[in-house]
This record gives sequence, structure tokens and C-alpha cells, in this order.
Amino acid sequence: MAQKIGVYIDTGYGIGEALDVEALSQVAVKEYKVAVCRSEPYWSDPEKLAIIRNDITTEELTAIIIAGPSRRVFENVFKFDGIITERVNLREHVIWCQPPNHEDTQMLAEDYIRMGIVKTQKYDDRAPFSEATEKAILVIGGGVTGLNAAVGAANAGYQVYLVEKEAELGGWARKYPKVFTGKPPYDELIPPRVAEKIQAVQNSDKVKVFTDSQVFEIAGAPGMFDVIIRPNGPWVDEANKRANDWRAEQLARAARFAGEKQEPAAEKEEAVGAWGVGERREPDYEHTRVAVGSIVLAAGWRPEDAATFEHLGYGKYPDVITSVQMEELASKGKITRPSDGAAVQSIAFIDCTGKDNEKPNLLYHSYVTSLVALKQAHYLRLSNPDGRAYIFYENMRTPGQYEKYYQTMQDDPGVFLSKGEVLGVSNGGRQLAVEVKDTLLAERLKVNVDLVVLGVGMVPVTQDSAVVNLRYRQGPFLPVNPQGFNDSHFICFPYETQRTGIYTAGCVKQPMDFHQSGTDGLGAALKAIQCAELTAQGKAVHPRAGDQSYPELFVTRCTQCKRCTDECPFGMYDEKPDGTPMPNPTRCRRCGICMGSCPERIISFRDHSVDMIGSMIKSIEVPDEYSEKPRVVVFICENDAYPAIDMAGINRMQYSPFVRFVPLRCLGNLNLIWIADSLSKGIDGVMLIGCKYGDDYQCHFVKGSELAGVRMSKITETLQRLVLEPERIEVHQLGIDEFAQIPVLINKFIETLSGFDPNPFKGF
Amino acid sequence: MAKEFIAEPDLGFTKDLLKSGGGDLKKCYQCATCSVACKVSPDNQPYPRKEMIWAQWGLKDRLMNDPDIWLCHQCNDCSTLCPRGANPGDLMKAVRKMHIESTCWPSFLGGLVGEPSMFVVAMGIPVVVVLLLVYFLNGFNFSGPSPVNYGTFINYIAIQVIFTLALAFAVVSLVISLKRYWNSLEANIPIEVQGPRKGFVPSLIEALKEILPHTTFKDCEANNIRYAAHLLTFWGMIGLLITTAIVAFNIDILHLKPPSQNGPGTVAIKILGNASAVAFILGLVIMTVRRLTVPDETGSSAYFDWLFLFVIGGTGLTGLVTELVRWAGSVPGAYFFYMIHLMFVLALLLYLPFLKFAHLGYRTVAIAWGRSVGRNMTLATAAKYVPPAKPAEEAAAE
Repeated sequence: MAQKIGVYIDTGYGIGEALDVEALSQVAVKEYKVAVCRSEPYWSDPEKLAIIRNDITTEELTAIIIAGPSRRVFENVFKFDGIITERVNLREHVIWCQPPNHEDTQMLAEDYIRMGIVKTQKYDDRAPFSEATEKAILVIGGGVTGLNAAVGAANAGYQVYLVEKEAELGGWARKYPKVFTGKPPYDELIPPRVAEKIQAVQNSDKVKVFTDSQVFEIAGAPGMFDVIIRPNGPWVDEANKRANDWRAEQLARAARFAGEKQEPAAEKEEAVGAWGVGERREPDYEHTRVAVGSIVLAAGWRPEDAATFEHLGYGKYPDVITSVQMEELASKGKITRPSDGAAVQSIAFIDCTGKDNEKPNLLYHSYVTSLVALKQAHYLRLSNPDGRAYIFYENMRTPGQYEKYYQTMQDDPGVFLSKGEVLGVSNGGRQLAVEVKDTLLAERLKVNVDLVVLGVGMVPVTQDSAVVNLRYRQGPFLPVNPQGFNDSHFICFPYETQRTGIYTAGCVKQPMDFHQSGTDGLGAALKAIQCAELTAQGKAVHPRAGDQSYPELFVTRCTQCKRCTDECPFGMYDEKPDGTPMPNPTRCRRCGICMGSCPERIISFRDHSVDMIGSMIKSIEVPDEYSEKPRVVVFICENDAYPAIDMAGINRMQYSPFVRFVPLRCLGNLNLIWIADSLSKGIDGVMLIGCKYGDDYQCHFVKGSELAGVRMSKITETLQRLVLEPERIEVHQLGIDEFAQIPVLINKFIETLSGFDPNPFKGF
Repeated sequence: MAKEFIAEPDLGFTKDLLKSGGGDLKKCYQCATCSVACKVSPDNQPYPRKEMIWAQWGLKDRLMNDPDIWLCHQCNDCSTLCPRGANPGDLMKAVRKMHIESTCWPSFLGGLVGEPSMFVVAMGIPVVVVLLLVYFLNGFNFSGPSPVNYGTFINYIAIQVIFTLALAFAVVSLVISLKRYWNSLEANIPIEVQGPRKGFVPSLIEALKEILPHTTFKDCEANNIRYAAHLLTFWGMIGLLITTAIVAFNIDILHLKPPSQNGPGTVAIKILGNASAVAFILGLVIMTVRRLTVPDETGSSAYFDWLFLFVIGGTGLTGLVTELVRWAGSVPGAYFFYMIHLMFVLALLLYLPFLKFAHLGYRTVAIAWGRSVGRNMTLATAAKYVPPAKPAEEAAAE
């Protein structure tokens, strides 16, 4: 559909003084024949906005282009219902980083006007996806976290389904005799108040509780999840085995791929690699089927297997127990030895989260185990004023206000603390002998105690089974990070997982204490509500909150290569019976990675397509090879790179005027055809700047820039075919705080290119 | 420390330490700022950090056999710099008190003197002895003709017998106590020492060479004023002892009149005596006032500290008052305060091995022993930091 475009050039901010605005207008009017073109200072002022609105009505405009400040400012000001709004950055990306009234600066500005207009012309007319309107919330796990999430969501007016695998609600809190107060002066212990929470849930008419049940399967997408809940039975072990076997096979396959130099071409992997593809069996077993909008995963933790601590006497001596068993022992009142029932006078607490432990997920749980050791030492001291508690640790971590509790326990003369490495526990006659080296007493020592308590780690239940049992082609599991916990962009989106609409809270996410778990549950419930509401309006949740576009496929040309399906970090695509990808729009985060991956270029968004970007590149004016004005296209991701360039502009850092920035949603959004488009247009070099990837990734879409890097490695062949130097392409990772690198990278690249002949395709 | 050490914390000992003035000892988290800050602590196994963890773990054996507790001069640099307010200086002081109590002979007197609730009984003994002396010799008759003649109030012989006996007892008791200490250092020290041993006498001479001018004490920063004040009191007391010895010698051997009766050599003796008294008292006043006004710099004060100040300060003050009252012309007044003065002196002598006064013996022994094994007493001035030489090209590029 042809757009009727109005171009509004902002002459404020010094733009009017630094550029020939008249010439810019001529580009819009003469070259592109836009319907309206005006130049005024500060279009964000209310009187000026009124002019635009008037134009929209009188000229029947369908699209507005504001050429002025960065699109990251005035987002809510330049909003016109039903009208396409595009922004061209003449401020941060032009006049603030280039000398005023210079020929090259003018050419830069004119190119951006061209690119902006061409982009706007390529918008498509598509309605938002409005079929996902379910707003009920599923909470998996009925411990403190899940209870808080359920009550919170119910109080906000949402229907909640709470699934708990045990026969009673309450989780671990029911099993502790005492917990911390969570209030100053942090020197006491009180019984846990989980009964109140359980009561609140049972009293609420908005919460439907399923105890002694688990989630059998979740299909669908946010706003339209289709959940099957079943009472416990033999199916649990069978389902877990199937899922775990599948996962083991996937990992083995990945290991083989990493080990081999070349992957055998076109191996048919669908049958084994896919999950949940094909006809869905109608349930012929006892179950409840519910429709929900979003999900809170609060399934919690289980203790680390203490069998790994044989050298500390576990399993050998009945008086060596885990911290979990210690809670049970203490809840009986007087603390007695398991072996002979005698009263316990002395206990050695050993923190088992030391550096010798190679399992990566245990790197983080002495966040809680130090506190547990102190609390249990407190149990002993409360019940026995002559009791002695020895605590041996690699680290003593008592986060936040719990430092006060640590100081309280430190002041107790019966608590003996020392850093140290426990060498072993042996038979000391009636007692147990604990041998420790590298202590604060500067030597190896031994203590004789009645009881030894091992501080074991907290393992998320998702280590043992999928729990969510997703009927997604990418598998039933939530992807995990190297520590074995659910993976998310931790800094920006703490509750998120790599499956849209599913939010984690509590110890399944990271080790945390009772109070923090409760708060975490509330936080996740809020996210879940946000997801349900936005999805019902056809909008993306995060990071592109409010985005109403979604990918559509021109299926006729699909070759079923499944690159989009495999590369999507969020498992958006399932598979149709004929093998073509089946999009689930509400799972989508609109990153465009699939669009970049498709070699047939069949995927597009309403406001973002392969043709659009290709056309933008082709609209760039490329001077001939005698002008000594090279041209460089720089693809930048909108999350880190675009803001970094804005920052460079704000700091008035100057760099080469020969670069043209093309913003993408993510570097993974890059389609290789655009490289070919650039080079065949005569562009001398292409640079990609995106967020960092790797184990501590910053990429807001998890692995976009990594995928871009992988794709670029395959471009070398194309370049050689075109007889062009591979050094004409550069890929860089940048954090927003590294904006000072922008001029360095760009100027260095221009210098590198100056060593080559100009692109021979100029002027073709 | 290759041999295995079985830790058996003595909970009662820790509680005693907490009561004796080491109240914040459990706060220590072994950062070692104190050991680094201490100017007089040796580089090898310094103090007071290890003493803090031993105290927290109730390891009585180690603390009671540790030479370092008496090498500490309670300057308080450690306490002022401790980031936790664990007051290691106070803990060292508390251990010293308990050490005296555990090594002194006879030990029941150590307990008597150290226990606050026994104050009346402990002080009562010298009071009663002097009262009895005055009663039997004089019938509490304080009047007499002018000028004051102390010898007529109480016979000098009686004084000398009683006080020599008291002094003898103190010396014997101190020697036995210190011998116990020395033996425990030889046999049971909880730290490693190595190197050639010097003999006792040369070590003692070296120790005295350091103690007399207070060389080590001068290094302390936080409570540096006490170095000067203690120097005054220390030499003041020595001056007073010399004065007393000369006067006694003049009276007994040479049968000359004492200076109070303007006997020969009066002026020189009077100058020595009064100058010593002024120095003695001035030092004590400074130390007492500082304990009251700036406890952060001096360390907190417990019963054991105040008791010693009371006895020794009382000795000085009553002596001074006695002289002043004599000058003022009141004969009964002079005799009365003389009697009070005798009570204080007797207390000071009798309880020398049990009060904080015993530090004069213990610290000397510790320093002598340290010299004998080579545990360096004062840190040599640290070598000036010399940055590593830059490679030639870097230097040329600049």
C-alpha cells in the first residue's frame, strides 16, 4: 500500500545552523515526492505537534517522519494513533559528531533522509495479533514463593491455578522449626508463619489449588497456554525419563558436533531432534485442563546429594547428617544424637560449598548455607547454654541485613568460627573427630564433637526434570545457564526465562532465603500479570515492550531448512505436519533473528523486512571512485550499539563522515543478503556492532550477536567470489558504557579500507 | 606446629576474659589490622591477632604460656585501628590480669586482690596491721612537740622490721612467680622460636638497657603521652627509693638526723626527694586523667586498673600531703597522714606481686626472654621502599 508521507525536519538543536535544510527538503520533495515537508525548530512543542496533527487530517497522511533528535527521546511525544511514525537521527548521529556546514556532513544527512523515507515506504499493513486473550495465571509450586505469587495475583483480581506436587501446601517452610525474623535487630529466630499464607490461599475464591499433582504438559503460547494438570502417578517417572533421555541425546549430539571438524551435510535430524511434533494425543487419563495467560515457576529446590561427602563420614557414621536433616532433628525439641539418643553438647558445622566442589551450580549457594549454619548453631545454644558449636567455612556470607545476625552469633561465647578446609571426619571413640587445616589459628587442628552437620547445596528441581514439560519443538526444558539455573538476561530481566510468558521465582531461580523467596514470588506474579495484559492487546512484553508487529512467513517459498526454528532463542516456532515452521506469535520477542537466518528471506514484520533494509542500503548515494569519499555501512543493534553511538554524539566525539548507520533490532537480525546488497552497491566496507555474547552475555536476545558472528564467518566464500578482501567486513562487540570506542573503531576501519582500492562495483 | 593440635575450648575461660575487660573480643574477624598496626610486635607470628582467635576459642593453655602478652605495652594502636571495635588492647590486658592470677605465689592472694568484691578484705589487711602497730607502740596518740619527728611517733626500727619483712615477702613471691613464668616459657610456648640462645644475665642486661629509657614504649602512637607520663612515674619512683635508702642509711648507719629535722645533706636530699615526688605524682595524675577523659586512646579501665592506681596513687598523694601538713605546722596532722601513708606503702609492697604492679617483673622477664631467643623486640626501621628499576626502553620513551 503506498504511504502518504509527511517529513518534518527539526531545525532546532543547532541543526538549522549546521546543515543546509533547504537542500534536505529538496531530497524529500524532489527525489521522493513526499506529500508534506516542513522545517521548524522543536517539533516536540505542543503548538508544533498541532501542525502535524492538522496535516495528518487535511493531507490524509499515513506516515510521519521526524528528522531531528534520536528516536530514543520523545518516544511518547511523537505518537499519533494509527499513523506510522519514523525517526531520522540528524542530531546525535549527524550534527553532534560531524563538523558543521561541511560537504560530507550534508551528504550524511541527506543519505539518512533517503533511508528514512525508503524505510517508511516499505511498511506493510497488518493488524496486531489479538487472539491471545487468556489472563489466568498458572503457579507451579506451593511453597512460600508460589503461595505469595498466588495470593498476590488473586488480590489483583486474576484467576490463579496453583499446582503443588506434595499432599500439602507450604513446601520447605513447614519443615523448619524456626526462621529469621526478617526485621531489625536480626538477633532472634521465630517459627515460620506459612500457615497464614496457606489460609489466605485457601480462603481466596480466585485461587484453585491442585495438591498431590504436577503439570503433565504445557502447549500453546502466552495468552493462550493450554495446560494439562494430572494427579501424581507412575506417569511422572515415565515422563521425566522420556524428557531426560531426549535431553541427554541433544547434549551428546552437540558434543559430537563440537568435536568433529565438519558436520555431515543435510543430516535428517527432525525426527530425533524435534519434540512435541505431530498429533497431540487426547488425554485418556484423569486430568484437569486449563487455559492460562502466563506462568510462574516456583517449584523450588531439593538438597544436594550428600553421597558425594563420603570422605566427611556421610553414610559411614549415623551422627554425620546434612543441614536439612538437622532441621528435622531440631524440630523434635531437644537435640539428640541419631546413634544413641544422647543429648548433643557439641556440633561441628561444615560448609560443603568450598572450592573443591567442581559442580558449577554450587558456586552460589553459600549465600544461604552460611546463614543456615549460624541458625542451627543458634538452635544448639538456645537449648544448651554449655553447648559448643564449631563452624568451619571457606566463606562466611551473610548478605544484606543478615550481617547483623552474623554479629549476634559471633558475640556468643559458645560459637567458635574459623575458616578452614575440613580434611575428614573419623571415629573419635564416643565422639567424632573432625580434622581441619589452614584455619585461622594458623595450623591444623582437630575437634571432638557429638554431631557433624554438613551444609549441603540447594539444587533447583529443574536439574532433575523439566517441570514445565513444554510441548515446544525446541524441547520440554527451560534453557539453563552454565550454573544449571534457568537462564535469562539476568541484569535487565531477572524473572524472565528464555520462554516468553514463563517467569521463575524463588530457589528454582537462585539460592535465597525464606523472606527473599516470598518477595520474589510477588515480583514474578507482577511480571506474569504484565505479560498477560500486554499479550491480550497484541503487544510484546520485553524487551520490545508494546511492539504490536510479529513475524509472518511467505510459506510458498519455504524450503523447510528449519534455520529459523533452531536459531530462535525463545522457541517461537513449532512445526506443522508438512514440515514448515509454525509460528506462535505471542512467544515472539520480535528480535528478528529468524528474519536474519532465512536464506530464502520469507520472514518479515509489518515494520521490518529484508526488502526494507535492502532498499535502505540501495538508497545510499555512493560517490564514484575518483571522489575519494569511501562509503561504509555499519549495522548496529538497538540495545547497546545504537545508544552507545548516541552517547558518543552527546559527548561530541567526532569521527569519519563516511559511515552510514543502519539500526537493526539485534545483530542476529542481520540477513546476509544485505552484505551482498551493500557490496554490489559499491559500499567499501561493512561493520557490525552489537552487544557482547558468551557466558556473561549482554545481548538482550541471548545470542543474537553470536549468531551474527557465525553467519559472517560464512561470508568469506562470497567475498572471495566477488574478488573482495575479507578485511572489508568487521564484527565488534560493544557495551553501552564503551561508547568512547566508537570513534576509534570507525576511524581505524576507514584507515584499513584506505589501504584497499575502492569497491570496483561503484557506479554499476 | 607440625604436631596435631586438639582444640578443647574452655568456655569458662572465655567468659572470664569477657568479664575481666576483654568484653568485645568476640567481634574480631581476624583481619590482622591490629598485628600490622602494632609497632612493637615482631614480624614473625605477631600479636595481638593470634591472641584474639585463641581467646575466642577459649584456648587457655596457649594464652597462659604466651610470651607476647607481656611484650605488649598497651599503647592501644591496635584498638584504635580495629575496624570492628573488638579492642584487642583490652583483651591483652585482660589476659595479663588472668596470667598474674594464675602464676603468682601464693595463688589465693592473687584471687583476693583481683576480685572486686574482696576490696574491703584485701585493703583491710594493711590497714589493720598499721593500726595495730600504732596502737601498740603509741596508743593512738598523735600529739607531740614541734618539730615533727616521725621516729618518735613510730620507732624507726619497728618500721624497718615490718616493711623489710613485707618487702622480703614481695621479693620472694615475685621471684617464685617469675620463675614459674620463665619455666613455662621454656617448656610450653605456643609459638615457634629458633636460633641461638643467649644466657639469662646478658639478656637481662639488654632488656634493662631498653626498659630504662623506655625505648620500645616510645614507638607507640595512640597513647604516646603515656610513654612520657610513665617515664616520669618510673624515674620518680626510683628517685624516691634512692631518697629513702639514703635517709635510712643516714639514720641507721651514720646515726645522722633525717632531713625532716634538718640533718646534714638536707638540701641535696630534699631536692632529690621532692623532685622525684613531683615527677612520680605528675605522671600518675596524667595517666589517671587520660583514663577518665580519653578511654579510646588509653583502652578501657577495669577494677584491676583502678585498684593499682588507687594504691600507688594513694601512696604518692599521702606522702605529699604528709609533707605539706608538716610544713603547715600541724604536728598531729603530720603524724596522722604519716600513718595513712604507711598503710598505702604496706599495701603497695605486700601486694606488689598480685596487683598490676607485678608488671615490673613480668614484662622485664618477657623482654629478657625475648632477647635471649632473639624474638626481635623493637622493629628495626623498615627499609625505605625502592621501586623496581624500569626497563631501559620504557625509561627512554618517557
